[in-house]
Amino acid sequence: MSSAEQVARERERQALVGRRRLLPRVPARADRTLHRRRWPLSKTTVLHLGGRYNPKTLGRERLITEKAPLWWFTFLSLALVVPLLAGTDKMLTIASTFAIYASINLMWMLVMGTAGIFSLASLAITGIGAYATCWLTINADLPWPLMFPVGAVVGLFVGVIIAIPARRMDGMYYALLTLGIAEVCRAYALQAKWIGAQSQGSLSGGGGFIPEDIRFTQTGQRIGYAAAFVLLLAALAVYRAVNGQRLGLLLRASQKEDEAVSESMGIDFQRARLAVFLISSAGLGVIGAFYAGYFRAASLSLFGVDLLLLLFAMIVIGGLGRAEGAVIGTLLVTIVDRYFVDFGAKRFLFIGLLMLASVLFTRGGAFGLRDQWRELRARRRSQRRAARTSRHGAVSPEEAPEIADKAQIYQRRFDHNQRAHLKSLITDDLIAEHRRNPTGLHSEELERVMLYFRKAELAGKYCVYAVKPFAKYRIVALSGLPGVPPRVVDDRVYPTVDEAYHAVFLRRVNDLRSS
Amino acid sequence: MDWFVVTSALALAAMYGLLGIGISLTWSSIGMLNLAHGFTFAAAGYGAWWASKNLMSAPTSGTDALIVALAGILTGVVGGLVVGLVAFLPLHDRPNFPIRSLIATLAISLAGTQIFLLTFGPLNKPLPKIFDPVGKALDMRKFEIGPIEMTWDRAGSIVAATLLCVLVLVWVRMSRRGIQMRAMMQNPEGAALVGVSVRSTGMMVMGICGGMAGLAAVLLSSTFFVNPAAGVQPLAKGLVIALLGGLGSVPGAVIAAILVGFTEALTAKYFGTTTTLFAQYVLVFLVLAVRPRGIGGLLDEVRA
Repeated sequence: MSSAEQVARERERQALVGRRRLLPRVPARADRTLHRRRWPLSKTTVLHLGGRYNPKTLGRERLITEKAPLWWFTFLSLALVVPLLAGTDKMLTIASTFAIYASINLMWMLVMGTAGIFSLASLAITGIGAYATCWLTINADLPWPLMFPVGAVVGLFVGVIIAIPARRMDGMYYALLTLGIAEVCRAYALQAKWIGAQSQGSLSGGGGFIPEDIRFTQTGQRIGYAAAFVLLLAALAVYRAVNGQRLGLLLRASQKEDEAVSESMGIDFQRARLAVFLISSAGLGVIGAFYAGYFRAASLSLFGVDLLLLLFAMIVIGGLGRAEGAVIGTLLVTIVDRYFVDFGAKRFLFIGLLMLASVLFTRGGAFGLRDQWRELRARRRSQRRAARTSRHGAVSPEEAPEIADKAQIYQRRFDHNQRAHLKSLITDDLIAEHRRNPTGLHSEELERVMLYFRKAELAGKYCVYAVKPFAKYRIVALSGLPGVPPRVVDDRVYPTVDEAYHAVFLRRVNDLRSS
Repeated sequence: MDWFVVTSALALAAMYGLLGIGISLTWSSIGMLNLAHGFTFAAAGYGAWWASKNLMSAPTSGTDALIVALAGILTGVVGGLVVGLVAFLPLHDRPNFPIRSLIATLAISLAGTQIFLLTFGPLNKPLPKIFDPVGKALDMRKFEIGPIEMTWDRAGSIVAATLLCVLVLVWVRMSRRGIQMRAMMQNPEGAALVGVSVRSTGMMVMGICGGMAGLAAVLLSSTFFVNPAAGVQPLAKGLVIALLGGLGSVPGAVIAAILVGFTEALTAKYFGTTTTLFAQYVLVFLVLAVRPRGIGGLLDEVRA
């Protein structure tokens, strides 16, 4: 058997066993088998654990059956530590931008994914929150900690106004309306007297949480990034609390085509949708306040189509409808957009192509790629398995559950592998050796082959029958049943017993080769 | 009555109507909101510009104007087919087609703008006024009908756009292909069951709508200019008209086009050009507040 074949067989064996052996495990105390750590104030466990006894050590251990929290922990701690420790100014700025955009995208994903409302006003709500809080810090001396609650109230207020028509309109009409809201905000900000027409519609010189004197130093940037990171964590927590808990479940039960069904079951999905929309609007208001506090300004780009498109590209590339997708997509696009500034217009071409590729070739954006790859691999594997009609005596996975004695399965697999190995041993030299010397001492290979032949089951086993000793021998096959005589295999007659032995050997070799 | 405002409003309405009807037809027949219509528009503008540069010495005679217009329309058709090839053919039988195709067309328009920028540079390209030669041939720059004073350019735009619209609508009503298209509008699955090829009909719709965008590009670009982002404003206008009119409703789109044209001309005259977009969205709010599915609003069941 070639080594490639061996590797392929080993892979197949692993696939048969399942992925359980790949799960990370943690030690556990045998006296507290049912203990689970839970998030405070909720029944949700921190990790999904499955307990078992290790078959080798017989010690109690726990398998972490859901690896997502581990990935999140790794990613977030890297995202926190790398820019803070190794960060240059450029990296810190990019990282802060990433955290702010990712938070906006998470809130937006709540509206588009969880609530299923195609709203394009999310960025506009952020902008309004930023303008309002920035203006208040300039003109009413609002201290910075109060910016966030004020931002939340402003966002909630705007959300209530925007949500009114959402009940009546659907899909694209609402998208157009919300796009119009952003445009109206932009036009208004350009002309409003209280903003100041001389500044091209942007506010600057507001209050912020980074002290003014260290704002442009490394320390200031680090403080800014740490704050942005906390914002991202908060956005993730809100996303999780809304999407993963009661509201999200209600809305998942009433997807587009099942609205009537869910309504008849007593789910008030309109109300749930509205609740999600308002929560996300308040969140966006807070992010707007953060934006104003971070930059000490509010700029017109928050109402622009360009930034909106960029954020939409992030969501699409990462994968619509998942928190992971929003964060990964934001990371990818922010890096392309901010890190490769030297490429100029080409980077938008690249982003456009990425978007196109994610729509054409993936099912759930970049984040769904792993599942898609696994599914493809499993399909290929099963096709290969189905294409193989005969398994040469080994038990196929489809057949295995129907065999009660599991030892048989292993026995047949062993037999199958052994035969494959013996076939590789049989050469012309080996056959010549047997012809020279059917009995007596043999080489190791020949001895192995003959041992295998000898232990074959009785039914159908070839024997030498002495028609007339020392003169006439024939080959017969045993019936394997008491009282039933052996059958004559062919009409050839051999003058010596050695020749008859060799003929039996050749027959068996032939049978082995054709099996 | 200020007839200048009326004629300019009508000219705008005619050109925007071409775009809006294109978007509306695409939506109702293949269920795709074509955000790459602006890309097709800009491509057609560049096609016409290339023709005016390379295929003739100076735009003087009527045939030259015809060549420019045809080049624009042809490029528009090709642009529409390219969009169909990328965003419609590979996606139309996949789940969640409306959202996917919307994203795909958005990506095309995003990438297309950059491709134009890299190929042709950021500068504005002027197009010849294609109806001027007619005036020159008749030796008068303007003409009058009663109290209305018209330039040839404006009259030509209105006539050409209306003509193409009417031609397309008649063709949709009368021809065999048009009947196939309407069958697809009413029920795509049913149409497929009785042997209408969704793929070829869809590509045909894309080509026709691209051609309409091409004519609009030729007509509009002689007043404005061709540049990489030339498609953005017309796309916004076309979308507004298609949605105001009710997606899928051609009469609604015509009414919406006239409404938007008048709003734009009036606000441009009385409040200045910076407020046109603002006014337009105010119009959108008002109309959608009264009729949430647009003027010609079709029912849910027509296109889910």
